Amino acid sequence: MPRPADVALLALQVLGLVALNIAGEYLASWMHLPLPGNLVGMLILLALLLTRVVRIEWFAASAAIFTRHLAFFFVPIAVGLMAYGTLLRTEGAAILATLIASAIVGIMVTGGTVSRLLRSHPPEGS
Amino acid sequence: MTLLTVYCIAITIGAYAVSRAIGRRYPSPLTVPVFLSTPLVMLVLWGTHIDLSGYSQAKSIMTYLLGPATVALAVPLYRHRHVLIKDALPFCVGLVSGTFSTMIAAIGCAKLLGLSPELQAALSIKSVTAPIAIALAPKIDADPTLTAGFVIITGLVGSMFGPWLLTRMRITRAEARGEALGTISHGQGTAEALHEGDLTGAASSIAMGSAAVLTSLIAIPLVRLVV
Repeated sequence: MPRPADVALLALQVLGLVALNIAGEYLASWMHLPLPGNLVGMLILLALLLTRVVRIEWFAASAAIFTRHLAFFFVPIAVGLMAYGTLLRTEGAAILATLIASAIVGIMVTGGTVSRLLRSHPPEGS
Repeated sequence: MTLLTVYCIAITIGAYAVSRAIGRRYPSPLTVPVFLSTPLVMLVLWGTHIDLSGYSQAKSIMTYLLGPATVALAVPLYRHRHVLIKDALPFCVGLVSGTFSTMIAAIGCAKLLGLSPELQAALSIKSVTAPIAIALAPKIDADPTLTAGFVIITGLVGSMFGPWLLTRMRITRAEARGEALGTISHGQGTAEALHEGDLTGAASSIAMGSAAVLTSLIAIPLVRLVV
């Protein structure tokens, strides 16, 4: 069982992340940024970490839990796909073909470009 | 919060926990938690006579937490910043060409197959990590739920076939493999990249975050221009 102190610390970290998310939403709408608020929140935290205003240990535990269980938050969204049954039945094949084709193109272009450009850079540790 | 909402959250957590346990025991693309939990939740809802409108409050509470989950992505981004700094030029060129090519390929393919502009827009941002895609979708007139579905399918495609495809292309450098997986198949690709090694995983997680920023910046003008 986790200790109460750890749980309290974790709750505090999550509250900090919620506050940064709200700050990101406000900043995005106030400055009319074309970016989603949660992404702005992420960039704020990144800036705070880079300027050493915030130490990575302050968010390490909650970030690890969110990353490990990110898939959980997709479940309610996927359940919501129930409402799109008809669409997926009629257009499903075309959608799937598009998703597979564009993923293959993207992986080949990214991997090919980076590996070609890295030829002049020695691999790490050699 | 009503009792119904508490019940809906409880069955979602329960289904997730059961799926994770099964997935750990029998690791395979078919036992991915989302793949397994979703029909399980649907089944329980159907069995206890609850429709989607009854589930919607629970859904919005749980998806709200995707906001702070996105903010937390700054932590791996910060931790692995050295990967980006060391090979900044190849990294950036790869990121830009990969992101543009997958978005153009998605829109082009969707147009060719006669899909509606709303679907073309939703398909164009399918390589972005789900929490950001959901927030980005309304800005390009795409449906957030459908977009999230496309994101999850893309993650499955990339993590199932990406490593194989890269090997067939004789791409061996960890940085290149990781960046390709993270740019195109976000979190699910990064999980796969981490299996290959630390450097591959680091490149993948930094690519996932950077691709999300880049896609958010270019999605609105690109969709307005070509969709």
